[in-house]
Amino acid sequence: MKYLLLALFSFLAVIAQMIAGNGFFLFNFLDLSLILVAFWAVYRNRTQALFVGSIAGLLQDAVLGWPLGYNGFGKTLAAFLVGLAARHFNVEGAWIRAALIAAASCVNVLSVFLLFLLLQRNVGAIFLGASLMQCLITGGVGSLAFAAYDGYSGTRFRKAG
Amino acid sequence: MSIELAPRRRESHALYITLLLLLLNLTLLSVQVEDPSGVMLLKKWVLAAGAPFIDLSAGASHAVKEFWLDYVWLHGARAENARLKQAVERLALRVRSLEQLEEENRRLRSLLAFRAGTHFEALGARVIGRAPDFLSRIAYLDRGSADGVRADCPVVTAEGIVGRVILAAPHTSQVQLITNADASVGVVIERTGSPGVLRGTGGPLLEVGYISSTEEVAVGDLVVTSGLDRIYPKGLAVGKVVASGKGKSVFREIRVEPSVDLLRMEQTLILMRTEPAPAAERRELQD
Repeated sequence: MKYLLLALFSFLAVIAQMIAGNGFFLFNFLDLSLILVAFWAVYRNRTQALFVGSIAGLLQDAVLGWPLGYNGFGKTLAAFLVGLAARHFNVEGAWIRAALIAAASCVNVLSVFLLFLLLQRNVGAIFLGASLMQCLITGGVGSLAFAAYDGYSGTRFRKAG
Repeated sequence: MSIELAPRRRESHALYITLLLLLLNLTLLSVQVEDPSGVMLLKKWVLAAGAPFIDLSAGASHAVKEFWLDYVWLHGARAENARLKQAVERLALRVRSLEQLEEENRRLRSLLAFRAGTHFEALGARVIGRAPDFLSRIAYLDRGSADGVRADCPVVTAEGIVGRVILAAPHTSQVQLITNADASVGVVIERTGSPGVLRGTGGPLLEVGYISSTEEVAVGDLVVTSGLDRIYPKGLAVGKVVASGKGKSVFREIRVEPSVDLLRMEQTLILMRTEPAPAAERRELQD
């Protein structure tokens, strides 16, 4: 049941991004599902975050019309690294969180890029430029979202298990 | 701030799950994606990963066999040596006569202003394995895309055609033998010039179809490639007719025995298409 809920959250994040991106251009540079993955890795369970990442990535691939697995691979890796960082370092500060989420987004983008090369697909230069913007915007918005969550719930960061 | 000290087991647990999920995603991707030549990447990767082991085991068994035959089992070696020497002398005479015929052919063709077609470069390759399923009639060679081998390259021996490359990994190639049930070759009956299509049956014999019942095809007739399939060069030996009779339809039922012993062959040649003859050579032929 728990994992069904994870899948549902992942699905909703992807759908939300599709809807928002349709209305507001800047949302096309925002990776909502990655913020969800980072949230799960920092505030909830690291292992669950891996599944959230994998499922959200696969759903994103389906929505983008790509072969399934590109973003699934990238977001799983990003979830693992965020969880690892949250486990070993203090990631309470807003700037640190922004940097962590931006780095996770970079890892996601880089792994997709490398998979493209490995599977002999062409990647345009514009992909890297747009991805850099995505990393920065996602990092900033993610940090704000975490701060909003902290303020709302009164919950302090705890090291995820 | 509450700190939970997770045991080391949880650390490795998360790592194992990460690796499993990454592997699943990668497998999912490789099943969907094909390389530019249309081959599923997963197939290519599996073949590339298994090739070193197949090559190693083939090399090892070959070495043991060579050692046994060369140094241990010498029964009849002297008589065989004498017999082979005589065969070599006969073949040398035949080669000289064929060289003369070849030279005469070249002169006659140049007189007829023969236009040179595409040429083939031959690459020696060793058979390192066969598919475990006896009916699939697939063989593996120790040359691959790193040597310039591509899909649809014909594979031949001195006796005739063997099959075509269907998948080229970097150092291994998968070859569909002509006896494979999915194989087909454009052929002609050498004596009469009747064109037909040769098909594999999954068994040791081949079938030739689309030759009219009114055509004369006798047991013993040689079947050669027609070149019309654009894969095999024209004029290569395919096999000998072992049965020929009127079929139920308008076409003859013809069975052919391959000229190459596909079960025992060890050395082959992969033919790789090169550029057409240079302009200077074409002019020379036309003069």
